[in-house]
Amino acid sequence: MSFFEIMRGIYSGFGVTMNVTILALVYAIPFAVVAGVLQHFSTGTWRWVVTATIEFWRSSPILVLLYAFYYSLPAFGIYLSAFSVGALVLGLNAGAYGSQSIRAALQALDRGQCEAGLALGLSRFTVLRLIELPQAIVAMIPTFINQTIQLIKGTSLVSLLTLSDMTFRAGELFALTYDPVRIYSGLLLAYLIICYPVTILGRYLEKTLAKGRGASYEF
Amino acid sequence: MNFDIEFALEIVPRVLQGIENTIIVSAVSFVGATALGFFWEMLRRSHWLMRAIAQFIIDAIRSTPALVQVYFLFFVLPYYGVKLPAMFVGIFGLSFYFSGYISEVFKAGIDTIPAGQSQAAQSLGLGRVDTVIFVIAPQMLRNVAAPLGSYSVYILLSTPLLALLGVPEMLGSALDVASEAYRFAEPTFVSGVLFLILNLIVVAGVALFERRLGLRTQPH
Repeated sequence: MSFFEIMRGIYSGFGVTMNVTILALVYAIPFAVVAGVLQHFSTGTWRWVVTATIEFWRSSPILVLLYAFYYSLPAFGIYLSAFSVGALVLGLNAGAYGSQSIRAALQALDRGQCEAGLALGLSRFTVLRLIELPQAIVAMIPTFINQTIQLIKGTSLVSLLTLSDMTFRAGELFALTYDPVRIYSGLLLAYLIICYPVTILGRYLEKTLAKGRGASYEF
Repeated sequence: MNFDIEFALEIVPRVLQGIENTIIVSAVSFVGATALGFFWEMLRRSHWLMRAIAQFIIDAIRSTPALVQVYFLFFVLPYYGVKLPAMFVGIFGLSFYFSGYISEVFKAGIDTIPAGQSQAAQSLGLGRVDTVIFVIAPQMLRNVAAPLGSYSVYILLSTPLLALLGVPEMLGSALDVASEAYRFAEPTFVSGVLFLILNLIVVAGVALFERRLGLRTQPH
């Protein structure tokens, strides 16, 4: 098998990798925004409930969560496909990490922003929607990109739930040809081709956004 | 198939047998990743060619999944006749993967030290190595302690990858129980709960350590 054929075989799992990533993002982004905002604003028992939910998704190994949900949900009478479980677990795990960035970004905002909005007669929710969240979200774009990379890499774990993503395809090729050097180098290269440009983009944005924020304080 | 709580409680001691390996693997990987991460960062601050190479290695480590890196080592090393225990391969894989991230921690930790510090050291006649050891490192430690604490938690959360190499850490021993009893729901669930508890203990320990050092300025 030529290296080209190996790469083609690995990339035949690209669709699954991308689909899991996209569906996981559909879970992750709303969960991150809602949980981050709720954790920022809630107090007392509610804050405890929100924090416990976030910590549950953040504090267990993804692999263990994947296995536990994949095998335990049917025992409770819930039947989901490996694809749904994989995307759900990866998404909520990434979302829990993301919620911490959202909360940190909200906390880092100057209090004068909120006070000025309230003084103009906007409601608290409108202040959040029009003033605080837009700034928090711009501030966390580099973090968001880094976490998307984490998510794409994390999808390699769904191969263990027998989903035929790129890692699973590599395993199949390995069983077929026993050529670990070229197949696993190819697999590393396959992920590198997808994630490396995104890593560079994240690094670049981190630099430029930091510069932009620095400038705005000089007024 | 129903969830059998009695069976779940029964297997807790057997799954817990793996905790020793989990702790050893996380501790050794943490030390390895920190050392290798510091090495990458020193390489990045040396010669311009070394800098480019180190930068590419760090970005490449960060752009490929830990699972694939571990698989790569696990399958490729024996092909070249290097036969090592699976646990060793796993520890090396995790150290390598996290060194990419920890080098960024060191970068940020060193960047916040004013340039005047190393300039002053040089004008006092200290060599490059002495500058790093006596001037930069002591000040850097304060900056990197908190992020390193978080990475110790991330490393703990990545140790289940070693179960796939057949190392009997906590997920591994749960999977052993599962394949013996042919019940997967309870063992994986139990290992999840145990990991959650272990992680909460480690997080609390890291927080305590940071408070002791007077590093903790804002709540978690």
